[in-house]
Amino acid sequence: MAALSLSASAGEALVLGLATGPVCLATCGPVVVPWMMVQPRGLGLHSRQLLLFLAARLAGYMVFAAAVWMVGSTIPRAWVGRTWLMGGIQLLLAVGLVVYAVGWPHRRCTAARSTSRLVEIGETPRPMMSGALALGFLTGINLCPPFLVAGVRAAELEHLSAALLFFVCFFAGTAVWFLPFLSMGFVQRTPAVVTVARIVAVMLACWYGFSGVSILIERTVYG
Amino acid sequence: MASQSISVAPPKAFRGVGRSILLTVPMALWALLMFTPAFQKAGRDEHIGALVVIVFMTGLFFMMMRTGETYRWRRIFFVALGFLFPFGFIAALIAERGTMSIPISRMVSGDTPFCFMVTPSLILPAAFARTIIFPGSILPTASNPHSIAIMIGVWFAMTLVLGKAWCSYACFFGGIEEGFAALPKRRRLHRFVTKYGSTLRLIPWAILVFVVLVSAAIFEPVYCMWLCPFKAVTEFPAVRNVETAIQMGVFVALFVGLVVVLPYLTKKRTQCGFFCPFGAFQSLSNKINLFEIRFDRTKCVDCTLCQTSCPTVALSKDSIAEGKTLLNCMKCGACVDVCKKDAAVWHLKGTPVAVKPERARLLFLYGAWAMATMFGGSVLAGSVSTIIHWLPGM
Repeated sequence: MAALSLSASAGEALVLGLATGPVCLATCGPVVVPWMMVQPRGLGLHSRQLLLFLAARLAGYMVFAAAVWMVGSTIPRAWVGRTWLMGGIQLLLAVGLVVYAVGWPHRRCTAARSTSRLVEIGETPRPMMSGALALGFLTGINLCPPFLVAGVRAAELEHLSAALLFFVCFFAGTAVWFLPFLSMGFVQRTPAVVTVARIVAVMLACWYGFSGVSILIERTVYG
Repeated sequence: MASQSISVAPPKAFRGVGRSILLTVPMALWALLMFTPAFQKAGRDEHIGALVVIVFMTGLFFMMMRTGETYRWRRIFFVALGFLFPFGFIAALIAERGTMSIPISRMVSGDTPFCFMVTPSLILPAAFARTIIFPGSILPTASNPHSIAIMIGVWFAMTLVLGKAWCSYACFFGGIEEGFAALPKRRRLHRFVTKYGSTLRLIPWAILVFVVLVSAAIFEPVYCMWLCPFKAVTEFPAVRNVETAIQMGVFVALFVGLVVVLPYLTKKRTQCGFFCPFGAFQSLSNKINLFEIRFDRTKCVDCTLCQTSCPTVALSKDSIAEGKTLLNCMKCGACVDVCKKDAAVWHLKGTPVAVKPERARLLFLYGAWAMATMFGGSVLAGSVSTIIHWLPGM
């Protein structure tokens, strides 16, 4: 009976992941697209990067699943620290995009470049595996709507292992929707494409930063 | 010389009056056909508006035929469109609702007029979630004839004919900055634009990617909500809290900066060339459009006058060396008109370069001007009739 219940909840999580995958795609797109576009061209490299990203994202899922199971379903719904967490994650994503898609500001000072790194044309991009891990984990714990739905459901399960399995299956359902991102491995990396990707990363970092600060201010003002 | 206005271009060979009239007759008939419905209306103001536009559009086309120049005459139409569209639009808003702000009730009921600028933002949510993220109706209603289907249909039809030339013959926003860019005699930030032009022209692409991604992520048309400079002269969400006040501040700052100040300083269409994400999206249509500008390398002396004259920095030394424009060329004709050696030419894809370029120009202009008369002309006619209606003693 317990096994039947477990497989039913796993099936439910998989279907939930598949059904809400487009929302995950849209939520993670602003992070994945500019970051992948500044990486060198090549399907093999992009496959490895995406696998690392998804693995880190799964790790984020597991952390969240364990937390909601232990604390209960109040985390996704009414936990007082939720807005702090959301605001903080948004700010970290902003920093992550600047670091991994554009580079640390001090690098351009020490490297004696004639122009800003942002507008630098013709630089060969370098693969950054740590970016896949950091951004993957941050998007993994980013509280997007499908994630909250899964969190509420996982919190109601009887065992921690069931909650973790629920999130693994939910992750598997959503991960299918990330396959289209591999197509960016085929896009030619002209200097213009890399420059556009870097500008997009900066703009998205500003957006995440604004969003994070707005959430935190709202939290401070309204409680 | 390079920083001078393009009006210093040598005069092209004039065509005979009779031949020019003959070439203008089809366009005059088209204009009459377009505005016949206006004459069936009872209002005297509409009659005058239609008549003024018929004469205006036909007259400008005649001058294009007579002088062989495109840019100068097109600019007159385009600037008139740019300045009269907000006038007519705001007048209609004031008459209808007494304010330029969009009431929340109207957005909730899906009655917001659709603007083509939103089109790229709609693609991902429509594809993945079958959702239109714009508070408008898909089909026209009695209170909102500018529905999503109608506006996208008009834009698509015109794009097939014009390609990126939409941005210089149809867009009712670009004319404002072209007007401000035409005011000064000398450009002041010429060195800045020359130095950073190659990067600046990539910004619209970046904004396009940003807008498309974030719109899909938050299910809101981000460009409309945060980045549209023209909200300042059309309609905008009512200011009712800090967020909408910030939005309004952004709209006004972008309008003043990109549409008024920078065009005046640089003599470039800075909003179109360095900001507009829809323009970047529209550039893709140049891949399939039949008309383009090419350079006859046997005549070109690399004086870069064409590069300096281009209002949207759509030419680079490399592209000229290849005999082509960049993808964001909006076919305004400035480079062709300014070229002293007749090296810049209109070209029909699939034909030899610089062989009967005037024929390619005519073929393009008939299509472009017909669309401009139909789309922009009707906007002009409406605005002119509004002005006449408001004039004291009329």
